[in-house]
Amino acid sequence: MSAFNDLMMGFSTALTLKHLAMCFAGVLMGQMVGVLPGIGPAAAIALLLPLTFGADPTGAIILFAGIYYGSQYGGTLTSVLVSVPGESSTVMTTVDGYQMALQGRAGPALGIAAIGSFIAGTLGTIGLMLLAPALARAALAFGPPEYFALVALGLTALAAVGSSVLKGLAAGVAGLLLGTIGIDPQNGVARFDFGKTWLLDGVEFIVLTVALFGVGEVVASCVLGTVRPVADVKNVLPTRADWRASRFSILRGTGIGFLIGVLPATGATIASFLAYIVEKKIAKDPSRFGKGAIEGVAAPEAANNAAAAGAMVPMLSLGVPGSGTTAIILGALIMFGIRPGPELFAKNAELVWAVIASMYIGNVILLILNLPLAGLFARLLRIPYRWLYPPILALCIAGVYSQSNSLEDCGLLVGFGVLGWLMKRYDWSMAPMILGLVLGPLFETALRQSLTISHGSFAIFVTRPISAVLLALALIAVVAPLFFRKKPIS
Amino acid sequence: MRLIAGKGELWLALLFAGVGALWIFKGARMPVWGDGFAPDSGFLPLIYGCLLAGLSAAVFLQVLLGGTPPADDVRKPLTVIATLAAAVAALPYAGFVVAVFALLLVLYAAVEKLPWLSSTLASAGTTGALYLIFKVWLGVPLPAFFP
Repeated sequence: MSAFNDLMMGFSTALTLKHLAMCFAGVLMGQMVGVLPGIGPAAAIALLLPLTFGADPTGAIILFAGIYYGSQYGGTLTSVLVSVPGESSTVMTTVDGYQMALQGRAGPALGIAAIGSFIAGTLGTIGLMLLAPALARAALAFGPPEYFALVALGLTALAAVGSSVLKGLAAGVAGLLLGTIGIDPQNGVARFDFGKTWLLDGVEFIVLTVALFGVGEVVASCVLGTVRPVADVKNVLPTRADWRASRFSILRGTGIGFLIGVLPATGATIASFLAYIVEKKIAKDPSRFGKGAIEGVAAPEAANNAAAAGAMVPMLSLGVPGSGTTAIILGALIMFGIRPGPELFAKNAELVWAVIASMYIGNVILLILNLPLAGLFARLLRIPYRWLYPPILALCIAGVYSQSNSLEDCGLLVGFGVLGWLMKRYDWSMAPMILGLVLGPLFETALRQSLTISHGSFAIFVTRPISAVLLALALIAVVAPLFFRKKPIS
Repeated sequence: MRLIAGKGELWLALLFAGVGALWIFKGARMPVWGDGFAPDSGFLPLIYGCLLAGLSAAVFLQVLLGGTPPADDVRKPLTVIATLAAAVAALPYAGFVVAVFALLLVLYAAVEKLPWLSSTLASAGTTGALYLIFKVWLGVPLPAFFP
């Protein structure tokens, strides 16, 4: 009953005109960045961070969350219409979705994807609403050793999501290392300022995020080739037979997606792969898969949307992001002076419940947008990237400068932008670096406080059960990929 | 240029390792363990430096033993970066409007070889929109022309 009352409070905040507008803008932008090449939800949120700096945190987080789950819808369009997944989580949709498009059934493929995404997004939000507060309540007893272990888990889990755990860990440590630039939070000593007063404030989260995800992505994508031919979209509403074939696939995909999304180090991509494999395994005629089976579109689409809601559970309740985009949203919370983690539900209940309520509203908006307007969004695919990336670079400069009116920050933008390009080019995960920078101060403070409590003994991290379990999970996140290598799906 | 592109990841790993070494060097010169029970200012930077140097060295070896991928052309990304760097360097002298307009025009007309008229219109429109958002709407004191 308490969750219901909290949700109603959330709706009363989310249904104000200002927050409705933010929700609409978020899902619309998410839909667009999901469709457009060379810019993903992480880059879009990074570019908007400077514009929301100093604004209402609730509205900003509603906007960012909308971009995150809205992009899952948008990525489907490119998968189905041009056989190019807009997001990694829509790779499996490409397999049968594009085959349906070749058979002249792009409309029903997009229609069932939108309906499946709506159902999964809504059910996933219900799961988030029920699970996150309970998890946060259980974690309220956390002390410094548990926070230390939690940050360690968050960093290792995010490092494990990428293609190489080694590169992910190196990026995470590089982020922690950058976090030591500036004044030591404990005793006020200047560190690693290299004699430059402007470095005393440290490297700003916005500067690094915009550089890596804005400039880095743009430079890496500026070599994108010509526009591919786009399939026509007609009759978006699925037939009764389509619906009968897909309804249980959507429910199975939702369950798989939510559970996978909740686990750190997994995310929407793995969820959609698993949902597809399950559908193929239990199908009466598995040979239809890969040749335009509508279940092959419905299940992974439901899974990736449910996983997006699921990934918000550890992010909101524990402060452990399950994906690169949620890592940036977490950084945004800290930028607004809000501490993510177990205390979030107690101290910022209005914000959290407004965001959860906005996710229900956003899913309805996305369904309305996607069914009649799928053809219109498909036209965005015809915009060549060479027209898009110069304004993005200009926005990066303006956004970073506006944050603290600093020309030095613009210099850092170029330097870190080059680093972001190289990292993207050689498949080094960038999100752990952002998370390391954001959580570095909390990590250091928790370590020092823990060791003060234990009189300098590191045993405190393994003798306290929760801390020991979290550190064991962090270790598993690092070691497990060595034994379970990702295999390509035929 | 193609050679550099093929061995780029080795240089990237070396860069990270170098930063790690710098943190070890500077961290070791700070107080590492305080008078009490807790670590001091240099402790974590030293640990981070060691970890980053070690992890980057491991990546370096992995790349080296795995063989470098075939080189590809990096001229366009490097041109885009150079144009961006020039625009940022020009900001304090040329001001936001001129520097950003020039950045857009160079990218559209020279790098992408789009028609001059469309390039000029798109550059002017984008610069104007950014000026309106940041200067007029958000009140950001953007760098002025020859301040």
